[in-house]
Amino acid sequence: MIKAKNLYKSIGSSEILKDINLELKKGEINVLFGPSGSGKTTLCRNLSLLDNPDKGEVEILDHKYSFPQTKKFTKLPYPKISFVYQQLFLWPHLTNEENILLALGKEDNTENKDFKELVDFLEIKDILKRYPNEASIGQKQRVAIARALILNPEFIFFDEITSALDILQTKKIAQLIQQLKAKGMGVLLITHNLDQFKLIADKFIFLHNGTIVENGSFDIFTNPTTKELKTFLQ
Amino acid sequence: MLQDTLDIIIRNKEGFLKGLLVTFQICVIVWLIGLVIGTFIGYFSTIYKILKNIIRTLSFVLSGVPVLVFLFWLHYPAQSLLHISVDPFYTAIFMLSLLNIIAVSEIVNNGVNNLPKQYVEVAKVCGMNSKDTFIKIQFPLIARHILPSLLTAQVNTLHLSLFASLISVEEIFRVSQRIISIEYKPVEVYTALGIFFLIVSLPINGFAIYLKNKYNRRLDEK
Repeated sequence: MIKAKNLYKSIGSSEILKDINLELKKGEINVLFGPSGSGKTTLCRNLSLLDNPDKGEVEILDHKYSFPQTKKFTKLPYPKISFVYQQLFLWPHLTNEENILLALGKEDNTENKDFKELVDFLEIKDILKRYPNEASIGQKQRVAIARALILNPEFIFFDEITSALDILQTKKIAQLIQQLKAKGMGVLLITHNLDQFKLIADKFIFLHNGTIVENGSFDIFTNPTTKELKTFLQ
Repeated sequence: MLQDTLDIIIRNKEGFLKGLLVTFQICVIVWLIGLVIGTFIGYFSTIYKILKNIIRTLSFVLSGVPVLVFLFWLHYPAQSLLHISVDPFYTAIFMLSLLNIIAVSEIVNNGVNNLPKQYVEVAKVCGMNSKDTFIKIQFPLIARHILPSLLTAQVNTLHLSLFASLISVEEIFRVSQRIISIEYKPVEVYTALGIFFLIVSLPINGFAIYLKNKYNRRLDEK
């Protein structure tokens, strides 16, 4: 489980996250949405400890991290939680195959069972020996996902990964996310493409001006209780 | 004229070779000092801000005064003030090394700072330790990015080594001037000198352009 308690984050003088309280469970698909600049990516980065919150507590898989930080954390949650960026950040000097396998740490992992399964499912066999700049955006997206999944994380964060994909590719990603859920993985997905994920997500978190305004099941769309969400959905 | 140039080179081959040897000695020492110390300083100046400020200040001051003036100042007034006598060869090495260290450290500093932090974050998320992250991710990416600029800076150092002649270092330019005073054929001698510099500089510059084109395409990813 990932829990956030009274989380605050400022950048310079502007407060990006205000009193965030949140709980993400394993085996659940959570969709984080909201207007541009509402703090979605910042929340994702703070929940995964890529950035440190100014104040509050994050609990990741039974390990508590309190802020402000008084001493260096001895145990970080990686690779039990993983992150896929909107811009992907595949290492450009490595082939797609090396990008996926590097984290496994051994010289030749091409016979690894998980690797083979991922390659088949994500249909990236043909581009494994190519460099990232020789692949299309959709292919790169799938390589980045394979890289995040190869270590079997318990939670995975997707930051607007479908923004550059067409409808078919987005459907494929949605299908993959459902499979991750079936395996018991927890998913937090930032997306603008709500229609595609409305039917598969368990929980929806609406962020507005750094605050969680509404948080719940599909019902929040049929019966929004706040002015902010009503305006956003119009 | 080409025949005259060749004749002069052949007639004075010993002198030219000695001058070339001194120029190469200066360059190799300055390149090594600059690349090793400059890389260390450049890398650590991304961690320690005070180091970065020192390099910036030195760079600012040195870029405002011609190298020649510094060389003269180090060779004549500084040595007489300190009551010491240093071989001009070492004075030239000191001055050119200082310039190369600053140039290299600025290139390395920019290279490290310009690497998107997410490449390192991804490695962290994949559970890689800092040693592996440096060896497998940071170093190769930064090296590819800065190698062309480093090569260009070393060619620049080669050209700057000509100034050593003005404090009596017996390098190729000073030898050439002495040959001119014997042969009275400045055009031919300077042509020979130009050919020498082209032979050394062009392949390095060409290689720098090749690397820049090759790796910039790969780094388009970011």
